[in-house]
Amino acid sequence: MTELKRAIGGLTPQERRDLLTWLAEQDRPVQTPRPVVSLQSAVIGTLLMVIAYVAAAGFLFHSGWYNKYLEPNSAAGEVEYNQFWLRRMLPPKVPDVLVVGDSRIGEGMSATDASTAVGGKVHFTQMGMPGSAPRIWYYALRDMEKDRNRFSAIVIALDRYSDLDGEDMQDRRADMNYLAGRLALRDCWDFAHSFLIPELRRSILTGCVFRGIVFRQDVMEFLSNIHRRLERTKDWRNNGAGYIAGYGGKPETLTGLSFDPATRTIHFPPGAKDWQIDSARATLTPDPAPQNGLNTAYRRRWLGAILDLYKDSKTRIVFFQLPNAPLPLPDSPVPARFLQSVASRPNITVLPVDTFREFQRPELFADGLHLNQYGRKPFSEKLARAIAPLMEPSNVEPQ
Amino acid sequence: MLFTTFNFLGFLVVVLTLFYILPRPLRRYLLLAASLFFYMAWKARFVTLILGLITIDYFAALWIVHKEGRRRRVALLVSLCANIGLLGYFKYTNFLRDTILTILHPGTAVQPLDIILPLGISFHTFQSISYVIDVYRGEQPAIKSYIDYALFVAFFPQLVAGPIVRAKEFFADYFNWRPPTGDEWQRGFAMILTGYVKKLIFADQFAMVADRYYSNPLAMPGVLPAWSATVAFALQIFFDFSGYTDIAIGVALLFGFHFPENFRRPYLSASVTEFWRRWHMTLSGWLRDYVYISLGGNRHGKVRTYANLMMTMLIGGLWHGASWNFVIWGGYQGAALAIERVVWGREEKQGLVRIPLTVLTLAIVCVGWVFFRAKTFAAAAFVIGQMFSKTAGESLLSTTQVVLILATLAVALAEEYQGALTRLTASPLWIRTAATVVALLAIELFTASDQSIPFVYFQF
Repeated sequence: MTELKRAIGGLTPQERRDLLTWLAEQDRPVQTPRPVVSLQSAVIGTLLMVIAYVAAAGFLFHSGWYNKYLEPNSAAGEVEYNQFWLRRMLPPKVPDVLVVGDSRIGEGMSATDASTAVGGKVHFTQMGMPGSAPRIWYYALRDMEKDRNRFSAIVIALDRYSDLDGEDMQDRRADMNYLAGRLALRDCWDFAHSFLIPELRRSILTGCVFRGIVFRQDVMEFLSNIHRRLERTKDWRNNGAGYIAGYGGKPETLTGLSFDPATRTIHFPPGAKDWQIDSARATLTPDPAPQNGLNTAYRRRWLGAILDLYKDSKTRIVFFQLPNAPLPLPDSPVPARFLQSVASRPNITVLPVDTFREFQRPELFADGLHLNQYGRKPFSEKLARAIAPLMEPSNVEPQ
Repeated sequence: MLFTTFNFLGFLVVVLTLFYILPRPLRRYLLLAASLFFYMAWKARFVTLILGLITIDYFAALWIVHKEGRRRRVALLVSLCANIGLLGYFKYTNFLRDTILTILHPGTAVQPLDIILPLGISFHTFQSISYVIDVYRGEQPAIKSYIDYALFVAFFPQLVAGPIVRAKEFFADYFNWRPPTGDEWQRGFAMILTGYVKKLIFADQFAMVADRYYSNPLAMPGVLPAWSATVAFALQIFFDFSGYTDIAIGVALLFGFHFPENFRRPYLSASVTEFWRRWHMTLSGWLRDYVYISLGGNRHGKVRTYANLMMTMLIGGLWHGASWNFVIWGGYQGAALAIERVVWGREEKQGLVRIPLTVLTLAIVCVGWVFFRAKTFAAAAFVIGQMFSKTAGESLLSTTQVVLILATLAVALAEEYQGALTRLTASPLWIRTAATVVALLAIELFTASDQSIPFVYFQF
């Protein structure tokens, strides 16, 4: 003890302070060491964590739970709300006809006008999803009614009866966005492999499995104003179908539009807006696309898949060519071989190519693609009158 | 093969599974084969380069051990020339050529030679150099097995962007290998996850701001654009690089290897000296041990010490990239270190005074990052001019990004003073599971870019 005191006496003030600190630390209660985790239980713990993540992601994005909260105007939202309304709607007592297409059906077809035009003897429903295409229609129809007996006819609006290649439909990345709420995990491999570019396939497969990647923007917007989104989705679920039914079409026209195919010169009416000019130009003077048969392969695959869905059902599949430009355009030099090959099958009808050509007039078009409010009603009526006879018992073929 | 790709995750799961299935004597072959495959996934032909360097250094070290006097020095020189020569050729040929031709023919545009920088060459050559010098100094025995030595250089977690592992650290684990404990496994997994969050959510988020500004700084004049973009870059490079090394350290830990820490919340430093003790610690340590000390360190008076500091940092700057901007960046850091040592000595400040000093240090570091990020000296000069100009401009950071910065600061402070992340790693399973689920969902949902942005340090 004496030596200790002597030793402490020899310390500098700083050293004494350090010693006191050290002694105070020694006086603290010793913490009981945490039980050691074995490697095996740590590995199992890691697997459990990964499984928990898979379960959470599965519940959020693969179970359909999040579909209820999708932004109605998003690509996935369009598909999902149509699914919701159609499932909720009671089947009518008269033949029910579903008209499927892209924005040209959304803008140009009124289900109410169509039903009225045939005296309510046939009920029409439209599923016009802007930007959609046959691959999207296939998955949407597949999940809409499992028994394939809800509709008397599925009417499919095609841009052109033609195998000319145009926009690259095979590798449209956006299709993943439309179907983000629809694809099951078991669909991912086939869906990804319906794309041609290997890198895109990988990206689509990743997005299909890790669905949050695709929902990213929607979730970000959801989180930025949760209350607003909840209100909006609730309103859209309850009233959206009514909003669509009450839509009257665009008021703009292209009256005065003219086109000289020889010189590829377009004369626009005074006061035409940029979006009208751009879309009319894209329709009347499209950029040449490489002709490699991809369009044919695409149609054969996805329209064929739709036909396969209904091959054992009583549902008739009807194809028609949309009024696809604000001016009459010459027929495509390359006919659609797929349509030719299926036209004679039972329960399939391919309406004549010129059935709706009379509507290709500038005064009935809002822009280069879409019928306006003046074209919407007569087109819907004529479509209804073209479909209704097919619904008469004499035209329903026995199974 | 980027760490952030599914290819890498698949590769890791396969190698890890095989590693623990195979009998122990075969594991080193598996790791070496996997490491070379990992390297060749980038460009297969460069595997001959790394194998060539491994062979030279392996025999040089054996020669050093078995010979005496001048022959030892010759072996060391051969090894140094091979490593520095190849690094110099691949990394600095265009820089030197451009500089010389610009001096000889001013105003003439110099077309760069088509020289591809081999992946991670700056890292594995430094690792090899440290090994041979340590053997020469008698601090490290020469490794007898070629396979063992090759694995030290090529071990895939640290191959392309560090951390720079010393031979004694690696072989201490290697020759006394034991499976990781449960705690180590958990820590490794947590570090991998943290690395992915840092890289995919944070780094890429801030990269978008920095890239937007630095692609054309002239288009966005003003103090706020310059500072916000530079702070964004400071955060990008931190999250990017520390995220990468977190993944590397975590992966190594799953295999039972303990890599050294590389980042310790550097932006909480209260001086530039402290910053370099916390930033890219394995490089700082390497430069200290093999450059600064070799130059004489602080043993020859103050003036020489400052000169040594400056020289070390200039070399450090050049290591980061072959351009005058990197040289200036290195010189700037060296000058800051020297001035600090003149003004404050080497004492680390404690208490509340750290707060203003931390802000000041961050500002000094950010000004340095301008040289690091700007494409040309003129662009760097413009940005620095804007940082201290009178025009305000508008911040380029979105509200989300500002929230991310504040969240980062909170996490860094919690880790610095409470060891929050360390405690989280050691928390009960249900808490770790919840944290993992949140982290993985966050990666899935909030990854900033669909296009994989390469790790910044890959270019070095």
